Amino acid sequence: MMGLRDLANRLKAKPEELDAERLHDRFGGMDLTPIDQLECRTPSRVGGEVKRIRVAPRKGIPALEMVLTDGTADVVAVFTGRRHIAGIEHGRAVIIEGIAREERGRKVMLNPAYTLISS
Amino acid sequence: MANSLKRILIGKPLASADEQHQRLSKKIALPVFSSDAISSTAYATEEILHVFLIAGVGAAAYTKLVPISIMVVVLLAVVVVSYRQTIFAYPSGGGSYVVSRENLGEIPSLVAGSSLLTDYILTVAVSVAGGVAAIVAAFPSLAPNRVELCVGFIVLMTLANLRGLKESGALFAPPTYIYVLSLVTLIVVGLYRVYVQHLGPIAHTGKPAEELAGLKSIGLFLFLKAFASGAVALSGVEAVSNGVPAFKKPESKNASTTLIWMAVILGSCFFGLSLVAKHLQPVPGYGGTVLAQLAEQIYGGRNALFFITQFATFAVLILAANTSYADYPRLSSIIAKDGYLPRQFSNRGDRLVFSNGIIFLAVAAIALIVGFKGKIDALIPLYAVGVFTGFTLSQTGMCVHHVKIKEPGWKRNLVINAVGALTTGLVAAIVITTKFLSGAWISVLVIVLLSAAFKSISRHYVRVRESVSVNPGYKVQRHQHLVVVLVGSMNKGVLHALQYAKSLAPDRLIAVSVVSDPEEERHFREQWDLFDIPIDLQTISSPYRDLTGSILRYIDELDRESADEMITVVIPEFVTKFTSQWLHNQSALAIKAKLLYRPNTVVTSVPIIVD
Repeated sequence: MMGLRDLANRLKAKPEELDAERLHDRFGGMDLTPIDQLECRTPSRVGGEVKRIRVAPRKGIPALEMVLTDGTADVVAVFTGRRHIAGIEHGRAVIIEGIAREERGRKVMLNPAYTLISS
Repeated sequence: MANSLKRILIGKPLASADEQHQRLSKKIALPVFSSDAISSTAYATEEILHVFLIAGVGAAAYTKLVPISIMVVVLLAVVVVSYRQTIFAYPSGGGSYVVSRENLGEIPSLVAGSSLLTDYILTVAVSVAGGVAAIVAAFPSLAPNRVELCVGFIVLMTLANLRGLKESGALFAPPTYIYVLSLVTLIVVGLYRVYVQHLGPIAHTGKPAEELAGLKSIGLFLFLKAFASGAVALSGVEAVSNGVPAFKKPESKNASTTLIWMAVILGSCFFGLSLVAKHLQPVPGYGGTVLAQLAEQIYGGRNALFFITQFATFAVLILAANTSYADYPRLSSIIAKDGYLPRQFSNRGDRLVFSNGIIFLAVAAIALIVGFKGKIDALIPLYAVGVFTGFTLSQTGMCVHHVKIKEPGWKRNLVINAVGALTTGLVAAIVITTKFLSGAWISVLVIVLLSAAFKSISRHYVRVRESVSVNPGYKVQRHQHLVVVLVGSMNKGVLHALQYAKSLAPDRLIAVSVVSDPEEERHFREQWDLFDIPIDLQTISSPYRDLTGSILRYIDELDRESADEMITVVIPEFVTKFTSQWLHNQSALAIKAKLLYRPNTVVTSVPIIVD
């Protein structure tokens, strides 16, 4: 049963906190590394919802960049050589597997293996 | 539209170079600056009687009228002699505020400043209430509309003053002269009829007659309380010394002469009226003012002379209120220049007057009139506090001035100002003690609060000045420049904004859009290809449709990536007609408001004008 304090906390929660909770529920039970515990230079498997997609200019170097979030932190995935991947779209749950590195203070995986999860 | 209305009401703008011409000759300056003091004769006698009769002393009140008048006239002489020194010592305008600032330090000057400002507001309220009382005495059927009449006249006066000082001087000059003339006529004819024709007291019936039947003796406290009411006759004497720079050259000499003229007129009229009132025994508070009752008795009924007196009284009281319109904005501009009031008060408007001060004065006076239902006797206890606080501080400041400067003959001048300071200080003490409960506390409170407000405004300005001041050799740090263009949907405005953003030649350029579903992202991708836009677009999904929050969080993220970036946020905005503008840019407005307090962030709007 939900206590009064929980109720009070829920009323005070900001949209992003509510969202983090929702994502936590969704990806918590999938046996994945939480993104905030993702270590660089080690093969890892993380999952999350697509939060941001870059639309690249037509004449630029083709690369698809997207950001996943699982409510703990964000991770960037870059797919070189492609401007669009069918199925990778806003709100879609994706699991990626690869080796992360740090770039400008954020974790980036280059060309990870990806699994689309149907919603 | 708003502009043409302003033009009709206020007149065409004047260039700054025209300022010199806005100066006053002595003949014009006398009514402009001293009508306040002179007009107080219209109600000062009445207020003395009012204090006595309310206390129930009956006809004994009239025996003390002349002694009190003599005391007030002596006080007037002391104050005027003191103020002549101020005029010569401070030709650039030496109100209490300036004199105390130069000689006594910050806190006394703030007290003086706030006393004067409250005083000017009260002058407008009291004078207008008095003017309307004169009209109501002549036309008793107007009595229920007292407050509306007062407010109406304040509004008219405000407009006249927004047009400019000189014009209002010429417009208002004749009434003072007519008033003085009608007052002198009233006194001379009155004295002639009393002493030569043996005209008896006014025959009262009903309530007024009952009031005269009271039989209490007059104690010292009551006597002083009545004196404090009579002392309001001195309000406005300082106006001349405040306004020295508005005189034609030589300013000091002209101002001093004007001051003496004023004192002679004020003193003799006040004394004369009290003398006549002593014999004719008018009772205030029942429709007719004391002046109206005297005029009716002396001229033998409500004839032409009676109406001329009433109209002249009305006119001069309106003009007295106008004195404040000349002085209040001037003083508030000086205080604002010193950083104790918002800077806007020192800005001159289209017509070279301090428009903001004028408007503020009008609003405050209207509030007082409405709050006190336009009754003079309720306003009088508030009035004298500021007047005498100002006098005392100004004279004390002059004493310090003489000791500091030691000009030729300084010892004699020191004595004059010391006597002035002691006398006015004593009167201030009398006013506050005898009138505290009947309203003086309001003025004391306002003066204290206003001084505190001045101080905190100044603290703020000083802090800002210190934090933005630069030392020689200060180098501005070079920042990386990141430009973020907010894209709502694809349209002409966005293309213009993107083009503009590119022209800023930033180190990084990103377009950002918040999308609610995958469909929208696909649409953007197609459009980006279609228009061949060479800029990265970041599409952010917002599961809770929180537009502002999503954008701000993304900007924060970008900011974290490098330490010393300047971020320019470019927002395309539609500009339409005034009537339909509210249909646009609501979310842009919210984002702008949030970004205003963000450090190192510049917000730029690219306007797209739509007819």
